[in-house]
Order: sequence, then structure tokens, then C-alpha cells
Amino acid sequence: MAGQYKKVNRGVTLTLWERLYIPEVLRGIMITAGHFFPNLISTAKAYITGKPEQRKIMTIYYPEELPTIPEAYRGRPVLVRGADGKEKCVACGLCEVACPPKCISLTGGMRDDGTRYPTTYTLNGAVCIFCGLCEEACPEEAIVMSHDYQNLCEYDRSLMVYDKEALLIPQEKLTRRLDYIRRRMYSKCNY
Amino acid sequence: MQDNRMDLHTEPLILNMGPSHPATHGTVRFLLKMDGERILHCETEIGYLHRGFEKHCENGTWTQAFPYTDRLNYNSAIQNNVAYALAAEKLLGITDKMPDRCTAVRTIMCELARLADHYTNLGAATLELGALTAFLYFVEARELVWDLIESVCGARLTSNYVRIGGLATDLPEGFDAHVKQVFAKNRELWVEFDKLLTKNRIFLDRMRDTGAISKEDAIAYGFTGPCLRAAGVEYDVRKANPYLLYADLDFDVPVGFTGDNFDRYLIRMEEINQSIRIIEQLLTKLPKGPINVDNPAVRNPSKEAVKSVMESMIHHFKNTIEGIKIPAGEAYVPTEGSNGEVGFYLVSTGGGKPWKCRVRPPCFALTQAMGQMVQGAFLSDIIPTFDMINLIGGECDR
Repeated sequence: MAGQYKKVNRGVTLTLWERLYIPEVLRGIMITAGHFFPNLISTAKAYITGKPEQRKIMTIYYPEELPTIPEAYRGRPVLVRGADGKEKCVACGLCEVACPPKCISLTGGMRDDGTRYPTTYTLNGAVCIFCGLCEEACPEEAIVMSHDYQNLCEYDRSLMVYDKEALLIPQEKLTRRLDYIRRRMYSKCNY
Repeated sequence: MQDNRMDLHTEPLILNMGPSHPATHGTVRFLLKMDGERILHCETEIGYLHRGFEKHCENGTWTQAFPYTDRLNYNSAIQNNVAYALAAEKLLGITDKMPDRCTAVRTIMCELARLADHYTNLGAATLELGALTAFLYFVEARELVWDLIESVCGARLTSNYVRIGGLATDLPEGFDAHVKQVFAKNRELWVEFDKLLTKNRIFLDRMRDTGAISKEDAIAYGFTGPCLRAAGVEYDVRKANPYLLYADLDFDVPVGFTGDNFDRYLIRMEEINQSIRIIEQLLTKLPKGPINVDNPAVRNPSKEAVKSVMESMIHHFKNTIEGIKIPAGEAYVPTEGSNGEVGFYLVSTGGGKPWKCRVRPPCFALTQAMGQMVQGAFLSDIIPTFDMINLIGGECDR
């Protein structure tokens, strides 16, 4: 084992110059000015040229500008609508038992061709903790964490209860997340 | 002055500080007995954030406890995930069988969480001492670290990243380059933070020789982490009882002299550098390969296997519905959290749910010494002392 316990340098002694205080204040102002003026100038420049990426400041102007969401991002859980327009969900109920705060409830039914589907599917967005365990439990890739993070809050909790229609999203809109979970999360190479 | 007081029949002032005070990050109440500006007695009252975490864990499967461990020390959620997973893996007896990549990635993520925690702690401490600018620099550094964590596990705070026998996801593509870019910026910010504060006279007056605790008292109170090392005790779980890959890594552990707030500050500043050093070492020799243990009874099989192999499908359903079957027994694995020793004491009766899940939170032990550390000090000394303890309500009150 390399490396060891090392004593910190506690004996910070101030020279006369530092104890005079005013030069130290000026030095501090120099440091903050080194942040302030580049930020100010680059923001002004970005405003004039209309290129927001030139701004050196970290903050973004939400909601005019939106942050780049990484592929792994876990947003609102949604149900996938397959290419044939039907739900991919087979109403096995695994998401219901895997959910730690128990925010999912569903009832299953059978189509005329013998395939199973959820007749009702309710996800309480006010209770959901966005943990992604439903996605991990689903054997059909029917529920995934979308990259949806806007307009999820309401003044009334009953408006945050999503029914099946509100949850179903066509799979073309979810390709980024579906690709990611197939490639990095639940793929064979990880085992 | 003494005579005057006798004549005036003054009595000590009882002052309530908290539970919702702007300078106490976290809901905690101090009941202070004041003689002017001097503190005669300080009583700490905790428990305002009690949510029954330990009881809650008993009602879900082993896997379902992970999202709740995130909410203990929310600044370094991944360390809690790892501590819980290590204890569960010890019960399962698969500690030696963990894939190399899994252990390496866990170590990287633990150190990233430590970075985020120290940035928050030091930044918030300076904010409460009135140095807003320094706070903004470290919050920017923390923001960049959280961007890294978000790109790996999909959330900034509620990571839910580790699983028993593996990890939720692999590192994303281009992680190395992203880390390099972030660390270059963070080093600059560290230097500027250091320049603004370490030799700042006001900061020194507030920090130096306040909230000191002796070596013996620190051990008697059960201190761990930066606060114990500040008192001069050479104890770090990563060195004393290595877990994950810490035994093979080259890093130093800073130790202080007097146990005052300035020592704690210096130790945290140095630990930031050491964490960066650890992550850079690990990234150069990051092994390739699987991240999950190949044991379908412990870790859910891959989705391809679930769709094509009947046994995998059965395992997947049984693991999710009944929970992973962990053999009866009890286990505790100490790990070095950002604040001190974090450990989960797990008891299993062989079922799919924890029979008992007890957390050892570091700041619980630190907070109980608050009264002694500020005894006889000024009221304003509570602020730096409490900042350097770094009480996290979610972890202390569980």
C-alpha cells in the first residue's frame, strides 16, 4: 500500500504585507475580477453575436435554453407504444411489485388474438421517486425512463396521476433511451 | 464587571437556535444558555428529519432499499449505495467474486461522491461565514462533478447506481475525456478558493482555535473521518481496513494537529486533491469486462437472456417479486464516507427482505460533541463548528 498519513500545513503565518489587510483585499478583488470581467464580456459578446455557446458563465438561460440531457438521464417513466400502435406492456405486474413507493397500479386483460395488455395503467407522478427500478424489472422494455423533465409539476396532486393514455409514447420518440439501455445497462456484455 | 452583574441580578439568557435557522444547514435545534456572547451550555436536539428509514427497509426487498440509501447523505449518495451493497455481498459471500471492473467503477464513483461532498461542505461553510464568492466557485466545481455523476447514473442526487452483485449501468462512452475536462477546471477553482480563504485574516480568525476537541475526547465520542483526523488520530477506513481497490492505490491521508475548525478545513481541502489523484490513477488502469456478477440468483440476468432463456426469465421474476434470497446471518462492512465511517449492519433470516437494516451515520457521533466543542465559546463560533461537522439531516436522523 503506497501513500501514508501526512500532517497538514497548519502553520499559516501572515507576513506584514498580508497583515496590512488592504493589499490582501486588493488581491481578493483581483481573483474575483478575473471571474467577473471574462463572464461579463463573453456574455455581452454572445448577446451581440447571437452565439450562446461563447458564454463563459456556467449558468444557462432556462427556459429559453435547455440543458443537454445525458443518455443515462432518468426522467418521467413512460409506457412504450410499439410500431403496430399497440402497447408493448403485457400486464405481468413486475413494475408494480418492483416499485419502492408503490406508485404503479395496473389491471390486465386479453385481446381477441390472445395477447395480454393492460386495460388500465395508473402511475402516480406525485409519488414516483424516479429510481428506474420499474424499467429494470420490465421484461418487455415496455416501461422506460424517458428524458422528459419539464412540466411535471402541478398545483393539484390529482393532476399528476397519469393514466394509460398519458403514459403511452410511440417508440420512435424513445429511441435514444431504448438504445442506451440495450447498449449499456441490460445488455449481455455486462454480465 | 463581575460586581455590576451581582447588583443587577442578571441571569443567563436562554436562546433557541433553530430548528430552521439559515446558518444551520439541516434541521437541528440548539438550546443555548448564554452569558452575553459566551455560551454557558449548548444542548443539541436532533430528530426533525426522522423518516423511519431503517423500518422502511424492512418492508421492501433487498433491492428496493437502494433508492432510500440515496436519501441518507444526499451529497454523497453513491457511497451509501456502495456501503449497503458491500454489506449485502458479504452476507452472500460473493465479495471475492465481484468483477474487477465493477470494483474499479465503484471506487471511482465513491471518490467522485467524496469530491461533491467536500465541495458542498467547504462551499456552504464559507457561505455561512459570509464569503459568498468562494461558495460560488466551489458550487461550480460541484456542479461539474454532478454532471459527471449524472452522465453515469442518470440523476444528480438520487443516484440509485449500485446493485447487489453489480452496478445499474456501465460508464458512458467518453467518460475519461469528460473527467479530464472537469478536473482541469476544478483544479483552477481549487487554487482560487484556496487563495481567497486559506490566508484570509477574517477566515483565520473565525476558524483557527474554534471548536477544538482533543484526541482522547474525539475517540471517546466515536468521531470518524475528517473530524477525527483533524484531532491528530491517524485513522482512515480506506487505509486501516481497505475495501474495494483502496489497498492498491497510491494516496495520502491528511492528518491535523489540534482538532479545530481550521484543521478540518485543511484536511477537506487536501482530500479533494487526493480524491482527484485516486480517480486519475484508476482511469489509467480501468479494467474491461463485465460489471455484474454472473449469478442470476443474485443479479437479474440480462434482458436478452430474460427474453430467450426460460431459467433466466424465472430468476428475473423471482428476484423481482420475492427479492434476492440472502442467507441468514448478519454483516457489517465499514466504509469511509466523506464525513466518516458509514456502515450498514444488516441482519437476514434468509428471506427476500432485510430483517434489520441499521445505519451507522458519521455525523450522529459528531453532532453529540457539539455541546462540548462550543462550551465557553462565542455564539458566532457555533457557525464554523457546525459547518465543519457537516451534519446531514437525512443521515443523522434517518
